[in-house]
Amino acid sequence: MNDRHKKINIAILSSFTLNSLPAELKKVCHDAKINVDVYLGKYNQYVQEILDGNSGLYKFKPDVIILFIDAKTLLGELFFNPYGSQKDIWEKWPNTISRNLSDLIRKLLNKTEAKIIFHNFETPIYSPLGIIENRKRSGYFESIEKLNTILRGSFKDNNRVFIFDYNNFCSRIGKENIIDSKMYYLGDIKISFKYLTQLCHEYLAYIIPIAAKTKKCLVFDLDNTLWGGIIGEDGFEGIKLGPTPEGKPFLEFQKHILALHNRGLMLAINSKNNPADALKVLREHPYMILKEENFVAKRINWQDKITNMKELAKELNIGLDSFIFFDDDKVNREMVKKYLPQVEVVEMPEDPSLYPLTLFKINSFNTFQITEEDRKRNEMYIQEKKRIELKNEVQNLEEFIKSLELETAILKADKFTIPRISQLTLKTNQFNVTTKRYNEGQIKNFIKSDKYLIKCYQIVDKFGDYGITGVAIIKQINKDWLIDTFLLSCRVLGKNVEFAIMGSIIKEAKKKKIKKIISEFVPTSKNKPAENFYQDCRFKIIEKTAGRTKYSFDIKKDGFIQPNYINIH
Amino acid sequence: MNKLKKILAKILEIKEDEINDKTSPDNTPTWDSYNGLLIASELEEAFNLKFTMDEVTRVKNVKDIKGVLKKHKIKINS
Repeated sequence: MNDRHKKINIAILSSFTLNSLPAELKKVCHDAKINVDVYLGKYNQYVQEILDGNSGLYKFKPDVIILFIDAKTLLGELFFNPYGSQKDIWEKWPNTISRNLSDLIRKLLNKTEAKIIFHNFETPIYSPLGIIENRKRSGYFESIEKLNTILRGSFKDNNRVFIFDYNNFCSRIGKENIIDSKMYYLGDIKISFKYLTQLCHEYLAYIIPIAAKTKKCLVFDLDNTLWGGIIGEDGFEGIKLGPTPEGKPFLEFQKHILALHNRGLMLAINSKNNPADALKVLREHPYMILKEENFVAKRINWQDKITNMKELAKELNIGLDSFIFFDDDKVNREMVKKYLPQVEVVEMPEDPSLYPLTLFKINSFNTFQITEEDRKRNEMYIQEKKRIELKNEVQNLEEFIKSLELETAILKADKFTIPRISQLTLKTNQFNVTTKRYNEGQIKNFIKSDKYLIKCYQIVDKFGDYGITGVAIIKQINKDWLIDTFLLSCRVLGKNVEFAIMGSIIKEAKKKKIKKIISEFVPTSKNKPAENFYQDCRFKIIEKTAGRTKYSFDIKKDGFIQPNYINIH
Repeated sequence: MNKLKKILAKILEIKEDEINDKTSPDNTPTWDSYNGLLIASELEEAFNLKFTMDEVTRVKNVKDIKGVLKKHKIKINS
């Protein structure tokens, strides 16, 4: 349980007054059930905070650093008189400024392990040149756009720096509204109080994946959610879906959902309907963008939505907290909220023309990278369905596992596998013996130190490739090994792969003349599936407390026979 | 219902019944210049109006706030 309550430290450095931001950010995170601490740097002293190794910033040990420098501060006198001082000032300006800012960001990268969220700059709305501003070669507006472009380019491949598009945020709110002029003159407040909550929601999108709270599956009602009208009453021809004014919001809503599906999100259905009626629309309606095969699981029946939701979680082998639920019916939404508080329930507006905008506002499915596994996820779940069908045919479990023809490839940690290794430590809850969360930087540090052995496992069977779905991190202490992390993605559970992997670890320990392997099980609210793993591998309990059980395996004395029907190499 | 007292109590972290016309930055440690601005902003939202900069700077106590609100045709009882 401890991991879920781990506090995330967020530091904010800014060039103006942002005193209300920490409390607001804490509140927004709290509502998302994420525990955070917030540090606000001294007023307009971001440079000092970054350069001084003993500053409050570094003492705070931030996991996230938000750097919010406003364009007006950055520009200084140039904001008032962009063409007054020197001739051709703008020609070099973007390069010089971006170099200075990049230096600051690099300092933060070197001195901390934090993810860095850097605000880009709001392009101005006023130039003394008026309508000919845009004719200027290396003009004022153009230079700020160029600065934004350079900064975005500089950190594209850096997995710890994220450019937050503040210019875009201001455009959404309206650049004339974002500053309350009176508050600016009275207190150097450059973002109006009333938009702070919205800004914090933007930050939350970065904090959710750090807290390993990313949603994985969108669950939809059908009637008046994916199409207009009620299929059971209005009939196949009567529902609103297609290029008509009433049908188009649903058509476009579906197109946006499909795009999310293509980035790796799973889709499912939870609908009270006659299955035959609903399936006919999924299979035959000419304007149904989302096809039957896009949905990884379906519950179309007359059961209550709570039971359906629980069944979906069971079928997909994911937690209820991985779901986002869409339903036009307020009563259903309230029921789900009340009985399944782990599920995120979207407040669907009454007017379907607002459905697409509602979808854009959801920020809880963000991840820091989209791995190949994410993109293939749906395919893999469909293969899983075929496996289950086979399981129903084959009665004996061992026989079933044998018939899968499992292969496990042992891969080392390198630049191709590190993102996935980190992602697995962040996301795996069930078969995870210690539930330690590691970012990519931490994994890289393990590799650099010669004390650690990091392995990941790619698993394949006759139905397809599960991708990298297992990780083991081992620390060498003198002549012993300590298993720091051992995890398997829930996709490959129930196939005895964990025993094949343990077999290979023991074999390697033997080869390297290791005396014993020490391991730990740290219980959480979710990792029951891994509870008996070490006992099953013939490890002996050497210490047991409420918070952990410690095991030992003597390489010479203790014996463990790995399953011979799983190829591991 | 006294919206003004509610807002003051929330921002200044004091009890509603401790607030009277004489409550001011001088006798309320939490009433610093930043919280003064927050109060102005929250009142603007709550009563759907806009103060001028001058109105904000001239406020020295709760009585002054009531005066400004009255100018905007908002009546505060008690």
